[in-house]
Amino acid sequence: MKRLRQLLSMAILALTLSAPAFAGEGGRTFLPSIPAAKGEQCVEDTADMRRNHMKYLQHHRDEAMHQGIRTEKHSLKACLECHAPVEGNMAAGGKEAEGHFCVNCHVYAGVTLDCFECHATKPETTAQFHPLVSPATAALKAADRTDSAELLNRLVGVTENKTGVAHE
Amino acid sequence: MKKTQFMEIGGGKGFYGLLAVLGAVIVAGLGAFFYMEHTGHWVTGMDNQIVWGAPHVFAIFLIVAASGALNVASIGTVFGKKIYQPLARMSALLAIALLIGGLTVLVLDLGRPDRLIVAMTYYNFKSIFAWNIILYNGFLALVAVYIWTMLDPTVKKFYKLAGFAAFVWRLILTTGTGSIFGWLVARQAYDAAIFAPMFIVMSFSFGLAVFLLVMMATYNWTDRPLGDAVVRRLKNLLGVFIAGVLFFVMVYHLTNLYATEHHGVQAFILRDGGVFTQAFWIGQILLGSLLPLALLYHPATGNSRLWIGVASALVIVGGFAQLSVILIGGQAYPLVLFPGYEVSSSFYDGVVNSYSPSLPELVLGFSGIGIAMAMMVVGMKVLRLAPASLADEAVDPHHK
Amino acid sequence: MSEHKQPDLARREFLGRGAVAAAAGMALAPGVMLYGVAHAKPADQPASSKVRWGMLVDTTKCSNGCNACVDACNKEHGLGNEQHSRPEQRTQYIRKVELRHKFTGATHSLPVMCQHCEKPPCVDVCPTGASFKRADGIVLVDRHICIGCRYCMMACPYKARSFVHEALTDQRPHTPRGKGCVESCTMCVHRVDEGREPACVEACAADGSHAIIFGDLNDPNSEIAQRVKTYASSEIRADLGLNTGVRYQGI
Repeated sequence: MKRLRQLLSMAILALTLSAPAFAGEGGRTFLPSIPAAKGEQCVEDTADMRRNHMKYLQHHRDEAMHQGIRTEKHSLKACLECHAPVEGNMAAGGKEAEGHFCVNCHVYAGVTLDCFECHATKPETTAQFHPLVSPATAALKAADRTDSAELLNRLVGVTENKTGVAHE
Repeated sequence: MKKTQFMEIGGGKGFYGLLAVLGAVIVAGLGAFFYMEHTGHWVTGMDNQIVWGAPHVFAIFLIVAASGALNVASIGTVFGKKIYQPLARMSALLAIALLIGGLTVLVLDLGRPDRLIVAMTYYNFKSIFAWNIILYNGFLALVAVYIWTMLDPTVKKFYKLAGFAAFVWRLILTTGTGSIFGWLVARQAYDAAIFAPMFIVMSFSFGLAVFLLVMMATYNWTDRPLGDAVVRRLKNLLGVFIAGVLFFVMVYHLTNLYATEHHGVQAFILRDGGVFTQAFWIGQILLGSLLPLALLYHPATGNSRLWIGVASALVIVGGFAQLSVILIGGQAYPLVLFPGYEVSSSFYDGVVNSYSPSLPELVLGFSGIGIAMAMMVVGMKVLRLAPASLADEAVDPHHK
Repeated sequence: MSEHKQPDLARREFLGRGAVAAAAGMALAPGVMLYGVAHAKPADQPASSKVRWGMLVDTTKCSNGCNACVDACNKEHGLGNEQHSRPEQRTQYIRKVELRHKFTGATHSLPVMCQHCEKPPCVDVCPTGASFKRADGIVLVDRHICIGCRYCMMACPYKARSFVHEALTDQRPHTPRGKGCVESCTMCVHRVDEGREPACVEACAADGSHAIIFGDLNDPNSEIAQRVKTYASSEIRADLGLNTGVRYQGI
């Protein structure tokens, strides 16, 4: 037993001493690859989001799940609309090297992220429409998503409401 | 009668050899756990029809046996039977060890074992499962205190109180375990209040069988004297408990046989269920009840340590058979959604479901036993729990 | 039967992604009529206990062999994407059950899914409260706190729940699902909150069967409330007294 403890403490010491060597190798500091997001401005200040995004997400998640409050601000789905746009990184064989906004940073920070064990990692290309709308959506297929939503709204004769395009 | 001397066990080659074997079983169980959790439950025999499988049979056996293992201590403390008092410390430790072994298996089979903290922080107080989490933790704490009052003379004044509290708690705990099934209104095989008292008597029987084996093995392997007085008392008690379980099983089946509504499920378990019918008649009734009863009470075998050991082992085998019939047989029989109709669907409605446990499930289950036994071995090594002698003159106040 | 006796209800249109519902019926293409269910709840408002969402299945209109509701459900929720699971391990939110009476020989075909009980046994037994019922009667699993114990699957009288046996990818954004949690029919809560009908109801209508109607059982003017008031309907396992949100006509 005593010998085992000695061995263990030696191993820990060796690892501790070698740690700076790993980190400082070549004098570089590794930074996570952060794919660019759509739009100019996040729903909160960047500093605030860095510190508190998990609180916002959890608060929203509980309200959405249990009460059906589905506002867009602070919704994970809305985050992904900008931060993991389909036309960007992951999808369509694009700049795959950029990876995923959430995943990259969490890997870098060494914080386990299990949102995406269940949640989709990216928004869908087209919204789900009533099956009966498919003749109309087929006509819209070529257009990009924003246009298609606008076009559909024009088609049914209403203008986009104040809260913007609602998510599924 | 002299004051009982308690001594630590072990230290020899055999001791560490046993620990190594148990350690290997536990490591294998952990491996099975990581494998199942990493790949997902598709590698198990369980599915959406049989949602609880072999791990749950092991877990519930160990949990039920845990509360029963405490009985030996309770009889000494609560009912004042002197001959049981020297056994109380081992009995209490065995209770803790079996419960931890069972809970480990239960927890490691969860779909999200990483969220154990959620189970401890979010409670739905209408759930008997949530109550059981409290009952299990409370049981561990109470029995630990109970052992403490037996080990430490400065807190000896709380010994009776702790023993009494642990006894009441264990009855509530097994009521809770039985009610996991008794309160399931959905399924034909469950939904019966008798599950709670039946599980209590089952715990008496399984727990005592395990205790007998552990005690005889301990005294045999440590070369300590074990008198016939203790063994005879315990084996007679075991016989009573086996008969008690048989009585409850009979009442349960007769009651259900009387109600036409339940004829289907009864015919399934008792006659048409294939492996479940065999497990019931051969495993539970013949090997697990009638044969041990005969062995324990027949003059030719009833005084033989070997045969008492065999009878105890058979009770354990019968216990596993019984829990398999209750748990898996109860799920194999299809839910009746539309009485009077033949039903079929893509989701196996109206189909008798089959289940065959995969190797990792069984390994995980056995590791629960390994954990319990390892705790027992280590516990008796580091604490003075096992009496130096259980010879007749040491334990029996009336010994001539 | 009631095929042609539709109560005169104000129907509103489905308008694509979340636009406000207008009042009158509208044809998108000749012969193609779009309609959704009543009131979409404002996104920032919680589900109301004044509402009790429910479905009524008319089994006389449901035909043996038709699987439109099941297909629509699978598509809507991205089900069937398991790679390794055995058929017995795969998730099904809704299934078609074929019935044949042992004595009379009468046959029926009907869909069975989560019945969205008023007093759901799954919610009672869930140790963490992950199984819960929303104020408007929809029974859901909060996967964030589900520990995968499967006790709810033991407790559900309708066999409505499935356990996810493997890691999944390519989930639909509105239906997060993943390994180690239990799941079941959500009554398409993501659609209902937008004022749309569940996918199965829509598909059944699109298929011409109109066997399932969806609506607010608490709203006396809703089609479903009027139908259950006028015609005999039943619950599966009514003996349990669970007051299910899904009711059946014709069995």
